Amino acid sequence: MVIALISGFLLLIAAFLLVLLELRNGAASSALVRHTYEVKDTVSELQIAVERAEASRRGYIIAPTAYRLQTYRLWSPRILENINRLETQVLDNPEQIARIKAVRPIVVRELAELDYSMDLATDGRREEALQRFARTNTLSSVQEIRDRATRIENVEDRLLAQRLNTADRQQTFLKWLLVLAGLMLALVGSLTFWLARRFTGALIASQAELHRLNADLEVRVAQRTAGLLHANDEIQRFAYIVSHDLRSPLVNVMGFTSELERANKAIGDCVNRLQDENPELLDDDVRLAATEDLPEAIGFIRSSTQKMDRLISAILALSRQGRRVLTPEHLAMDRMMSDIANGLTQQAAERGATIEIETPLPDMVHDRLAIEQIFSNLIENAIKYLQPGRPGIVVVRGDQHGDRVRFEVEDNGRGIAKDDYERVFDLFRRSGLQDQKGEGIGLANVRALAYRLGGTVSLRSSLGEGSTFIVNLPTSFSEEGTES
Amino acid sequence: MNAQHPVHIVMIEDDEGHARLIEKNIRRAGISNDLTHFLDGNSALEYLFNAPDGPALNGPALVLLDLNLPDMSGTDILAKIKGHEKLHRVPVVVLTTTDDKVEIQRCYDLGCNVYITKPVNYESFADAIRQLGLFLSVMQVPDADGA
Repeated sequence: MVIALISGFLLLIAAFLLVLLELRNGAASSALVRHTYEVKDTVSELQIAVERAEASRRGYIIAPTAYRLQTYRLWSPRILENINRLETQVLDNPEQIARIKAVRPIVVRELAELDYSMDLATDGRREEALQRFARTNTLSSVQEIRDRATRIENVEDRLLAQRLNTADRQQTFLKWLLVLAGLMLALVGSLTFWLARRFTGALIASQAELHRLNADLEVRVAQRTAGLLHANDEIQRFAYIVSHDLRSPLVNVMGFTSELERANKAIGDCVNRLQDENPELLDDDVRLAATEDLPEAIGFIRSSTQKMDRLISAILALSRQGRRVLTPEHLAMDRMMSDIANGLTQQAAERGATIEIETPLPDMVHDRLAIEQIFSNLIENAIKYLQPGRPGIVVVRGDQHGDRVRFEVEDNGRGIAKDDYERVFDLFRRSGLQDQKGEGIGLANVRALAYRLGGTVSLRSSLGEGSTFIVNLPTSFSEEGTES
Repeated sequence: MNAQHPVHIVMIEDDEGHARLIEKNIRRAGISNDLTHFLDGNSALEYLFNAPDGPALNGPALVLLDLNLPDMSGTDILAKIKGHEKLHRVPVVVLTTTDDKVEIQRCYDLGCNVYITKPVNYESFADAIRQLGLFLSVMQVPDADGA
């Protein structure tokens, strides 16, 4: 369609150029016609001059009057004048030049004859002039001049007819060309209109389609979100129930372990007394069982159940965290971060680390507790996992990009191996040398909190040089998509 | 406890281990009152309201209640006790693993007298129960019929 439109416009331009060309041609043709008329005028003027000069001379010879002489003197110079003019006028036509060249000597001779007889007559030798007039056949040469002039005129007439014809044809052609161009203009115009209408229609239709798809997408996103929220709720509930129900048997295990210990203490006391008072009643097996094996077994049961209790408590805390209602409020981060840092100063000093906060930090609208937990966890980790022999420096910085904020907690600690980048965020998983207390909960909690606030936590690190944790959050917490 | 009317202790606890540990520690605190143990809510309710020797028809009582029961929620039992014309003055000690704030509030709203979370750490647990025992030994329990 566009190609048709473009070719239509090209054709229109071509037609316009053609019209211009034809107009120029028409002007040339009419100039030619005008020229032919001029030539014809000159020819007839020449003829008239010859006739009048001849007639006035004849009259003067017969009856010399001043009037006739005056007439002769008026017309005779025009003969040569006209023939000269004629010659310049027909320079474009060799045939006519030849014809004029042929007539010229006759005219000159005739003119000389006329002048001579007039001279005779004016000199008072009228008789001589009359005789000479009777002797020379002046009339026949005038006749010849007339014939030749007529022939020249005829040729010009033919030319005129031709040229008029050409001009006429050109005009007709121009007329049709104009009609054609008009038609084309109308065609291209209506094509343009039609195309514009069609494109506009298509545009409106696609806009509507886009709108519909968009609405569709939103519905689908809402459905997905609802599904995810439901699944998340389910997991939270599951975690809660599991951790809760696991606690009950654990109470028994620990309780009866204590009862065992208590009983063992009684037995142990008894064995010790027996050892002192009557050692031969005691064999090594019994003594070892009461004083070493049983306490050792009880010790392992106890430490394992304690560990299990910590893990269950962690799950319980996390699931409770996930069910907690978040209340967004404006948080002045400079103030908040320095509070967190102050809270950890003691711990940092003990380990030989310092905390630097690069103010200003961008403010946010979020749940206070959640943000506090995220950053105190990250800073605490930074203080905790130092590179031995190097004083720790923890740097906190943040900046805003549109409606997101990005915080970095950077340390010069022992770093995290690349393979462990994801692992450290898993619950109960830790990285590197296990020389610090902890259950592997902090980062899992940080990530869960960040997700809940609509953000992410990532890290970059190189082993032995330090780690940087990057927290990316929306500037303000919105319930949409995170709460049902 | 009340010397004229020995207080009967009713323990509703689905976990036999817990029940045993609780009883042991109560005894260690020097409490020698009768103690009846029920593993589920229905039999406990039957005893509380209808048994000839139960608290509704007999002397004063004290209820130790676990909230996680197989057949019904402990809060339902609490509501029933506190809604009963004779038993509503019976002290109820909720002794459970749940430390959910909402749950604790709900129990107090329903009229529970003491809410104790079972510590997983056994020493703390034993301490709590012993202290409960000491508490029981000095507290005055009203008669079930309000006399």
